[in-house]
Amino acid sequence: MTSRASRASRASRVSAVESILKALVPAYGPPGREIGVRAALRASLRGHGRLREDALGSLHLHLPGRGPRLLLAAAMDAPGLIVTRVESNGNARVELLGGRSAAEAVGAMALFPDGDRALVAYDRVAAGKDGGGVEASSLYLLTGLDKATATKRFPVGSVGMFESKLDRLGDQWRAPSLDNRAGAAAVAAALRQAKRRAYDLHVVFAAQSELGSRGALTSAFGVEPELAVVVEVAHVGDGKDQSPVTLGEGPCVGLKEFGYVAHPRGLELARKAAKAARVPIQYLVREEGSTDAGAVRRAGAGVPTVLIAIPARRSGGPDTLVHARDLKRTVDLVASLLATPAASPPARRAKAPKRGGKR
Amino acid sequence: MKAKGRVATKRGGAAFRRPGGARFEERFLESFSNADGPSGWEAPVRELVVEAVRDHVDELSVDAMGNLVAHVSPARGGAKAARGKRGRGPHVMLCAHMDEVGFMVTAVEKDGRLRIRKVGGIDPRILLGQVVRVGTNGARGVVGVLPAHLLTNADMTKVTPIEDLFLDIGASSREEALQAISLGDLVAFDTTYEAWGTVRKGKAFDDRVGCAVLASLVQRRPPVPLTAVWAVQEEIGLRGAAAAARRVSPDLAIVLEGTASGETPGASPEEMQPRMGGGPTLTVQDRSLMADARLVELLERTAKRWKIPTQWKRPGVGGTDAGRIALSGAGVPAAVVSVACRYIHAPAAYLDIRDPQRVVDLVWHALGAIGKEWT
Repeated sequence: MTSRASRASRASRVSAVESILKALVPAYGPPGREIGVRAALRASLRGHGRLREDALGSLHLHLPGRGPRLLLAAAMDAPGLIVTRVESNGNARVELLGGRSAAEAVGAMALFPDGDRALVAYDRVAAGKDGGGVEASSLYLLTGLDKATATKRFPVGSVGMFESKLDRLGDQWRAPSLDNRAGAAAVAAALRQAKRRAYDLHVVFAAQSELGSRGALTSAFGVEPELAVVVEVAHVGDGKDQSPVTLGEGPCVGLKEFGYVAHPRGLELARKAAKAARVPIQYLVREEGSTDAGAVRRAGAGVPTVLIAIPARRSGGPDTLVHARDLKRTVDLVASLLATPAASPPARRAKAPKRGGKR
Repeated sequence: MKAKGRVATKRGGAAFRRPGGARFEERFLESFSNADGPSGWEAPVRELVVEAVRDHVDELSVDAMGNLVAHVSPARGGAKAARGKRGRGPHVMLCAHMDEVGFMVTAVEKDGRLRIRKVGGIDPRILLGQVVRVGTNGARGVVGVLPAHLLTNADMTKVTPIEDLFLDIGASSREEALQAISLGDLVAFDTTYEAWGTVRKGKAFDDRVGCAVLASLVQRRPPVPLTAVWAVQEEIGLRGAAAAARRVSPDLAIVLEGTASGETPGASPEEMQPRMGGGPTLTVQDRSLMADARLVELLERTAKRWKIPTQWKRPGVGGTDAGRIALSGAGVPAAVVSVACRYIHAPAAYLDIRDPQRVVDLVWHALGAIGKEWT
């Protein structure tokens, strides 16, 4: 391949992941109600095979092939909120669904499935005028409606998502739902890009990740993979105990985070794939913060799991920033992973003869 | 497939024409409520449930954790019953937990007083002076309290943490105490079931009302293959149901619960949800579960069709066995139907006796609808 051709093909790849990301970012999909994002993913993956929705709402795509059974997973939900009651003034009280702090929710627009919108505000009496004491219990939705109408449009149990639009800020993408729509877009783009596959591939876009990796846990149990790759967005750079990760310097390979530690064979595979794709990688080590990787790692009898994390900055408020180059390189890395055979036999196969020998 | 659909429709149709479907048996609620079963020692309750259901189910077993598991096939008895629990229609798991919150005896002082710790979530403010039952040999005790004139003003307004409370069973030495009780004995409130008007008073309505609803439901053959689970150790971490769900591996699950009413003096009417007597309480979301949207919609629709009033549990609070069942295996669609009770996790709770009958009606008709339309 000439360098010009290579450049051209890279350019087209960038636009592939971008166009998928543009479709996924605004799609409605709070935890447990991933309706819009499932539809957007179905559209993005048209022609790849039959997609199946499971009991928790995760989206499954099986691409049969030779080689070990590989689970490629990315969460697809985004933080949201649920209406707990409508008050006499037409405002609605809410509980948060997923990993956004109450303070970060203030000022966000909540989007509901029928297109209804409401603004997240806080109780100034309870939280203080400067908002220093904002807690989930002091949040409410300004519906702009009277009680009767608000009760009809936002009944108890209505689930909203923080409105999200893809925006470009310098070299970086900015949107509230980038965690983990960027990961989901990278997986979808990598499927298009991967020419060869060394695995019997099960792709899962996991639901209810924000509520504690629930979709990833049950999906991994159902698939029973011999090896798994989880693609996520990891917020870096805010804490003291974090490894030095720079946005724009390449995707992270997870070494350790809360509830997860890398599998040596998975790590080896990730390094090999990165080398083959000429993708620079960084390492993610953090005490707190977690992704779906931990849940997949301990599903069933345990799964050797690779965590690929797109480094992101949570800029405060509802925004997340991801470097465009990291996103593109994550696509390259995941596509390369799919084509790179696991170096040694996966865990379960390796164990089998040993056990036989003991008997 | 065609035959399956036809049979399900026929059974569903038959059930639908029979108003009420199944009857709530109050005698179950009374006997279950009066029995003691703090988490980890549910045997007395389990024996009563076995007694109530043994003649009406195809298969009854107790698993390693102590869960009582009953299979009921939709066949009309005889040879057809042998066709098995997965014969036709989706395999539904209904689950209620047998355990209640209580205490455990952790130490006996030289002077015969017992130290206790809580089993499950109990508010320490409600304990002083309560009469309790200790262990299985009929010992009784009082949570010790000093008379007011021996207290300082500061102590009068303080809530005594449970570690500092003592339980007085009337023994004057350690030896005497140990003749009546043993270390590790479980402690339950000494409360007797009573009825006036539509109000029922008793202890452990969370979740003996669910146990009684479930025992009532299995008195008749359901329209779908059904596994009923009376689970253990819910109050200490949703443990029993997690193990049971793995074994039962159902197509969908409905958990039957007694939940906290939101009736608080002085609160706005919007906050006072759900209410005792307001009909079955449905859950959209709690800390353990996003209820399956399709199943909740089916329950809502069924309630509307049969003119059963329903109400919503306040989202975001509490957690039930449904959360663990939903995450078992490759995932299970799950929902919760509850009876709103006042003063749960306390010595005496209230419920409105019309509510459990409505829950029986709703779940019975929902099973019919599930048999017809769930794929």
